[in-house]
Amino acid sequence: MRKTFTGLRAWLIQRVSAVYMLLFIVFILAHFVGDPPHSYAAWNGWMMGSSVSMATAVFFAALLAHAWVGVRDVIMDYVHPVAFRVWALALLGIGLTAMGVWVMWILWMRHG
Amino acid sequence: MGHVDFVDATRLAAVPIKATRQEATMHFSIFRYNPERDEKPYMQDFHVDLEPTERMLLDAILRIRDFQDDSLTLRKSCREGVCGSDAININGRNGLACITPVRELKEPVELRPLPSFPVIRDLVVDMTQFFKQYHSIKPYLINDEPAPEKERLQSPEDRDKLDGSYECILCACCTSQCPSSWWNPDKFVGPAGLLQAYRFISDSRDRATQERLDDLHDPYRLFRCRTIMNCTEVCPKGLSPSRAIERIRLKMLKVEDDHGGLGIHRVPAIR
Repeated sequence: MRKTFTGLRAWLIQRVSAVYMLLFIVFILAHFVGDPPHSYAAWNGWMMGSSVSMATAVFFAALLAHAWVGVRDVIMDYVHPVAFRVWALALLGIGLTAMGVWVMWILWMRHG
Repeated sequence: MGHVDFVDATRLAAVPIKATRQEATMHFSIFRYNPERDEKPYMQDFHVDLEPTERMLLDAILRIRDFQDDSLTLRKSCREGVCGSDAININGRNGLACITPVRELKEPVELRPLPSFPVIRDLVVDMTQFFKQYHSIKPYLINDEPAPEKERLQSPEDRDKLDGSYECILCACCTSQCPSSWWNPDKFVGPAGLLQAYRFISDSRDRATQERLDDLHDPYRLFRCRTIMNCTEVCPKGLSPSRAIERIRLKMLKVEDDHGGLGIHRVPAIR
């Protein structure tokens, strides 16, 4: 296995991303409970503010990295034939990348 | 002179023992497989009248072997939880037959060989892979410095750091119950091996700490652990391989610790 797959880095990414996602979810829930937006426009305006949209982008980056490590681990555990594993990891990578592009498009391009 | 109570053995023998659970017949269902004779493994039922002195599961198994079926095969040696030979799966949970009180077990008592290990015969499993992983972590002190005249000394505080890891008897209860070991037994060191890796990583007299950490720094040897913690739950000595694995990860991250030893927990009873 290549060194880029080192266990420590993947493990650390999973832990750090989990902590960030937890903090972000608490922040979002606190906002919607404490100061709920009154209209779609108000929600959209808040959501698209530069700091919130940046925090949201980091959240999705953390989510995708977390999912990559987690599903990669499941594939490494259960899919042993190399050919199947390469395909499974490739599909996972393509799927997660597509979701990342989609999120970026929603956050910035659509209203850009 | 202190007062001493002597027990009159002749009087004791005259007292009829009350009919309690101690005399009840116990029902066992035991995994049988003789590769020279059987096409497939099967479960065989045994009913045993236990003597009051037969208190542990191993006593019951030996009674079956000695009085009912002498082909029943198992490993055992010290019969007091020190050698780790008689680790088996008892009602779905790994443990040592010799220190498991037999009357507390739910009937029929299902006895199987250690899960995921190749069966040699009946309750005896092939532990080659287990010991291969154990040897892979170099379970010995590495120190090339000239040996002192007497011995390599260690402060009491440094010695305390070994508590909770040196007590392992290599019975394989943990590794055999670990799903990560089930999926990758050839690549994942397993909880028993990693506990021993930590034992030498945390030893102040060892000089190969970094090499030991580098050896585990790949996606499989240490990081297949998913923190399921079956290892800690089933360890018949109350050790915590999962905590050792956590400490190794922290050492890799260069997180300084002055935690001392790993500690020993109460062992939940097998039912």
